[in-house]
Amino acid sequence: MNATSPTVTPALEAGVRSGIGARVRQWLGAWLPALPLLALVSVALIGPGVVLVAQTFVDANGLTLDLWGRVLGQPVNQDAIVTSLALGICSATLTLVVGAPSAWLISRMLAGRRAFWLGLLNVAANFGGIGLAFAYLATLGSVGMLTLILQAIGLPFVPPRSSSFLALLMAYEYTNIPLFVLLTIPAMGIVRDDWWEAAQTASATRWQFWQRIGLPILSPFLVAGWLLIFTWSIGIYGIAYGLAGQSGGTAVHLITLQIGTALQSDILLGPARAAILAVVLMVIASASLITYRILLRRALRWF
Amino acid sequence: MSGVDLIGVTKVFGHVRALDDVNLQIASGEMVALLGPSGCGKTTLLRSVAGLERPTSGRILIGGQDVTNVPTRDRPIGMVFQSYALFPNLTVRQNIAFPLEVRHRPAAEVKARVDQLLELVRLVPQADRYPNQVSGGQAQRCALGRALAPSPAVLLLDEPLSALDALVRTRLRDEIRRVQQLVKTTAIYVTHDQSEAMAIADRVAVMNHGRIEQVARPPELYESPATHFSATFVGSRNALELPVVNGRVVLGGAFDVPAPAGATDRAVAFFRPEDVEVTSTGAGHPATLEVKIFLGSTTRLHLLTEVDGRQARFYADMPSREALAYEPGAKLAVRIDPADVKTFPVE
Amino acid sequence: MTATTVTSVGETREPLRPARIGQAIMFVGLFTYFTLPMVAVFLYSIATRWTANILPDGYTLDWWVSAFTDQAVIGAFGSTLVLATLTAVLDIAVVVPAAYWSRVRNPRIRTIVELSAAIPFALPYLVIGFGLLQFSGIVAPALQGTFPLLVVGHAAIAFPFLYWAVDGAMAAAGIERLSEAAEACGGSPAQIVRRVVLPNIKPGVVTGGLLAFATSFGEFAMVQTIARGVYTVPIWSAEAIRSYSGESGAFNRLAAVTMVNFIVLFALSAAVVYFNRGQTVRLLPGARNIEQREQG
Repeated sequence: MNATSPTVTPALEAGVRSGIGARVRQWLGAWLPALPLLALVSVALIGPGVVLVAQTFVDANGLTLDLWGRVLGQPVNQDAIVTSLALGICSATLTLVVGAPSAWLISRMLAGRRAFWLGLLNVAANFGGIGLAFAYLATLGSVGMLTLILQAIGLPFVPPRSSSFLALLMAYEYTNIPLFVLLTIPAMGIVRDDWWEAAQTASATRWQFWQRIGLPILSPFLVAGWLLIFTWSIGIYGIAYGLAGQSGGTAVHLITLQIGTALQSDILLGPARAAILAVVLMVIASASLITYRILLRRALRWF
Repeated sequence: MSGVDLIGVTKVFGHVRALDDVNLQIASGEMVALLGPSGCGKTTLLRSVAGLERPTSGRILIGGQDVTNVPTRDRPIGMVFQSYALFPNLTVRQNIAFPLEVRHRPAAEVKARVDQLLELVRLVPQADRYPNQVSGGQAQRCALGRALAPSPAVLLLDEPLSALDALVRTRLRDEIRRVQQLVKTTAIYVTHDQSEAMAIADRVAVMNHGRIEQVARPPELYESPATHFSATFVGSRNALELPVVNGRVVLGGAFDVPAPAGATDRAVAFFRPEDVEVTSTGAGHPATLEVKIFLGSTTRLHLLTEVDGRQARFYADMPSREALAYEPGAKLAVRIDPADVKTFPVE
Repeated sequence: MTATTVTSVGETREPLRPARIGQAIMFVGLFTYFTLPMVAVFLYSIATRWTANILPDGYTLDWWVSAFTDQAVIGAFGSTLVLATLTAVLDIAVVVPAAYWSRVRNPRIRTIVELSAAIPFALPYLVIGFGLLQFSGIVAPALQGTFPLLVVGHAAIAFPFLYWAVDGAMAAAGIERLSEAAEACGGSPAQIVRRVVLPNIKPGVVTGGLLAFATSFGEFAMVQTIARGVYTVPIWSAEAIRSYSGESGAFNRLAAVTMVNFIVLFALSAAVVYFNRGQTVRLLPGARNIEQREQG
């Protein structure tokens, strides 16, 4: 990073006088152009977060922990939390297994072919929500294209119920794998060709290179990618809503879906329940993100 | 016996002949420098010996064994890279131990050998540091230790000093030479710096456009360049294009030498700045002093003269004490001993 | 990026490459995996009946026609486009000055912004939307459930994309040096921004804007939570998907709309890749540091 000495504009120089006025002007000079962004962030991200957390400790009678006890005691909420975590873990792990080799291969391609794959991945990574839910149904629904193909071949293929864990997992992978690949491709560049050449001249096999040099260096970034996908997955709403949003009792329970239901159908207690669940999500996501940052800092210590 | 033999080595990339029928024999224990400008093929040749490039045709022998189709990891080589290529997650000690560990040598043997190498390259205090904690010179010494760890038959060095500061470069250059002579490993050293090549090598191979133009010991290369290219590339020489008259090349009162074989009506005369005799009076070709450049013990005089109706410039080097006598604008006379003038046909 | 590196004229290194067969299989597999759903959706959108065989029984364009003459659909697309455009514009207006100032004047801006940029990545949009709803209820009840509030929400979750893209473009252009040079030539701040900064970061601004646009375009959770009255394409799609066994053709029309959604995304992605000329858009917080150290 290039450190530059701050450039002082002539206008500022001319306006400096002693006293509060000057201090305010100086402060403004350093922060003014950034204030709109900071305002946006405070109002739309930080403020809401704080309010939500506060709301979980307040009910009709004042400050209390009752809400927490009540909401976390309900089986449907417990089920939602466990299932969300399980879905996040499964999705992240599956993504890692498929995504890491893919990211490696793509990062090694020549610019033209790489651009093609990057384009494809960009589309798939951004294509989520209801549209993806429908695309899943069209492919693997009870009369989906792949279902029909497999049945026509003769396989007794029964697709998973569209509101089941497995269906959601497969749909999640459609955006998560490309997202993971796009996020980790830059890190792949960290393994340099001349290390491989040096290892070869030192008589190492491919496996020995990866075992001693490549994977130790890459693994923190891969784990970081895993954490990001995990965090992203537990917060997915659109896809889940499209597949399992209103199927009633048989649908899988997720924290996000429960929040949605609480907001839409439960006027009285809904907001409170939604707030608790939202804060639970916030806590899990924050823990994940902090771990991620620690991991990255450690990963870069050799560079 | 661990000499290297390159026989008819050719490498073609599409339409480009990176190597064009290269033949070279390197004796056991000898250090040969491959010298030339970017794109001359020196790095390709080195990498072919390493096995990182496969020649289109030709054979490569190490210690008498044909290794042309042997993969890199099975060749008895050690290589030092321009970018050091140290493994960032291993300490200096672990980097040096790497070639031995991948060969599954017993731990005690590895430790003893690594300690020996750390002493050899003088890195004992830095043994447990990581590559990002050591200086460029130390990193390259570690790379050298790693390359030598498995006692290779051939040591390959790919512009190892290019990434270093000038002062470190000289010290490390001498260090590399000291180590190589101590362990008596055959070595091939690639560089584009002619003074570096001449300082360090037993013989220098000058390359251009994928071919070896001349292979000679440094003094011979310096005194007697065999081709136009060698003459321009090695040592800083004056080059004047002169007309050929009656089979002779003449520069007024300065020199009169026979024309080179194969010359048409013009030839290039090469002579070194230190061979130019300058007087303010006396016989010789007239020239005007434009500017003096002080280089320490010598001073370089930039001289302007007329040749064949046009202006030409060349340099004369003399001890600085003598140069004090001359001021810019002075009219001088120059002479050059015919034995110091080498002529070549115009290319 | 280290795909193949050219060391000198005509020379190339052979990099680390696994078995060709394995590669080919993986890529054919991946390619099929990603395009199959789209093929399915497309066929659905032009099928008359498709319940038993590999391919539809018959083809028709009726669904496309009925979908795009439907007022609801047209309205939804209109709202979505306006929303996404406003999001991108707001983000550009807000992020570019902050990014510029953090580089030439106040590095502390960067720390705060990078920390904030992690929030939309960590917190689900649903939670942010819900929180924004509650927050606005306390602070500005008049704005609750309105379109402007939604724009603000979308801008907040999309800004990281713009920040990374613009910051990257500024780094690549060496914006600090350019600004200093412009100042030394006597330029005023306004002139510097207009004539030196903006032209040199154009690819970053466009890329970031397109990504912000794409984020808003497909966003569902926040729209459903904050602005019940606003009718975007994802909201329409959610209602259509609900009518599973209901009216015939609802699914087929949904297929047509989804197809358009996909095409828009495709165009945006192509534009993003084009503007970046094959470099990866760096989204991973911290990845930028890796790349800088790599090239440094």
